[in-house]
Amino acid sequence: MNILTPRPNPIVAALYTLRDLDVDVAVLHGPSGCGFRAARLLEEDGMKVVTTSMSEEDLIFGASDKLIEVLHEVDELFSPKTIGVVGSCVSMIIGENVKKAIVDSGLKDKAFFVEIHGCMGANTRGAIETLKAAMEFGLINENEFKRQEEMLLLATEVESNSGMAKSKYTRPSRGTELKVVADHIVNLLKENKRIAVILNAKKETAYLFADIPLAINLASKKYGGSVINVGNLSTDVGLLRIKRYAEDIKNNFGSNGITIDYISGGMDEYPIAGKNAIEYLKDKDFDLLVAVGIPQALPIIDKESIAVTNGPREVHPLEDRGYKYVTVEIASHSTVMGTREIVLSELGEAIRNAAGIQ
Amino acid sequence: MKQIAIYGKGGIGKSSISSNLSVNLASEGFEVLLIGCDPKSDSTINLFGGRRIDTVLDLYKKGITDPDKLIYEGYNGVKGVEVGGPAAGVGCAGRGILVALKTLNKDYYLEKGFDIIIYDVPGDVVCGGFAGPAREGYADEIYIVTSGEYLSVYAANNIAKGLFNLNVKMGGIIGNMRGIPSEEQKIKSYSEEIGSQLINAVERNPKIYESEIEGKTVLEKYPDDPLNLKFKDIGNKIINNKKAKVPNPTTDEKIRSIIGGFY
Repeated sequence: MNILTPRPNPIVAALYTLRDLDVDVAVLHGPSGCGFRAARLLEEDGMKVVTTSMSEEDLIFGASDKLIEVLHEVDELFSPKTIGVVGSCVSMIIGENVKKAIVDSGLKDKAFFVEIHGCMGANTRGAIETLKAAMEFGLINENEFKRQEEMLLLATEVESNSGMAKSKYTRPSRGTELKVVADHIVNLLKENKRIAVILNAKKETAYLFADIPLAINLASKKYGGSVINVGNLSTDVGLLRIKRYAEDIKNNFGSNGITIDYISGGMDEYPIAGKNAIEYLKDKDFDLLVAVGIPQALPIIDKESIAVTNGPREVHPLEDRGYKYVTVEIASHSTVMGTREIVLSELGEAIRNAAGIQ
Repeated sequence: MKQIAIYGKGGIGKSSISSNLSVNLASEGFEVLLIGCDPKSDSTINLFGGRRIDTVLDLYKKGITDPDKLIYEGYNGVKGVEVGGPAAGVGCAGRGILVALKTLNKDYYLEKGFDIIIYDVPGDVVCGGFAGPAREGYADEIYIVTSGEYLSVYAANNIAKGLFNLNVKMGGIIGNMRGIPSEEQKIKSYSEEIGSQLINAVERNPKIYESEIEGKTVLEKYPDDPLNLKFKDIGNKIINNKKAKVPNPTTDEKIRSIIGGFY
């Protein structure tokens, strides 16, 4: 099926994966505007992102010399330990020999090439190619590569089975108004009901999504009811940086007196952690399920449920899955970059307002 | 295993040389894979009695990427592949070459036990994609086919410039002569001028095009013709060639004086 909806891009996925690998500088061999929104966000998260700013002239004559020059410049400017060079549509179509440029720059001990462009299918392909290049460069071992590759392929499957790659065109939507959702949650707690919250978040987005279980727990402390907390917060799985996210969030929960009842997996295991979470809750008694992060990776259960996503284009597919309410954390990405603690979420704020907590 | 790429001016006879070379190497007992990189898909046609095999890129479009299904066995056991590509005037043939070569790949060649891989590359080096076969991991050395005519040598020199820029080794020059005076000496002097060597030069011979009309190599149509010994000699020299090095391209004036000097 030819999907018309604009979707995440393999080049951007490659840049994010370089960030996950704690690479110091990403050099995008392409036009100055390629992936610029992602590039800006990633810079706020500490990784330097530069481009070779390819021009019309470079398309005609090739831009390997320019790439070498840029590599020298970033080496001087940022003294990086590692540099990831990422392909783009234009540089790959004209057949730039990036590997050779890296060797010729004399920086082959710190720079490696991710052979990717925008027309290579799902965004996860960009992540897989990056991990493969990182493995060949010696940043990760083969087992870690294979584990993550499997996760990424499962994530692709989730999107095509239950996410925005499910239909030809998916309209964006903001879903249910936050206040309606927040009032519903607080009212249930006031009625002394039991809420199960599953945090099934992808990597850094957890800093924002974790605010929702946090707010629900605070509201429960004030009004009663009870909460079962489940989260993909394992500190044993994944890259150092990703494990650090889980550690941070666990610490925040701890200092707010919140215990996590069940760890459903690691923060890059969201395609399978949702299943583990539902399995854990199978024989638990609760009145409402609140699933935040990647709810589309959760099996459907016969229980009143609320889904919180960060993708306006995930709303309709989630509604199709039978969630009573689906709502969107619209600002999720810009707020989590560079943080080391849970940041305020819109739904979390709405719950605090509804519960009168500050 | 040795991987070589054949470059040269358009129409100079790269495909004739490549296919005749391939079948003669096969009759010497070598496992040969001939990869035609021209989007016109006519490099291997003389291995298959004039039949055009399915191209890698046509099959790729249908989702077929298993190398076993992309390679066909032709005359004398030579394996043939056509990269294929877009119709004239559309798309990007250079990108096509890069994608096709990646689909085939060196690990597969090693696994299949080939002794020699021959890339027959169209025309001069025209874009990054056409230089693909000359990259690390692909051809170990490049051979340029030329006649003794000025424009052909000029094109050869242009390719030598490309090899120099890309820091790619050149194995030598294969002459494909048109019958001009002192032609072999002209080609030989040019080869030495750029620090390379003349492997051998094939004379103009009607048996080559008589065979091609029937979609055959000379070995298939005229198995006992001495021309085959020439191709065997070229093949053996390539297999045993230890003198490949990056060429030093020369100037236009120098080419004119070399070629003019023999008149």
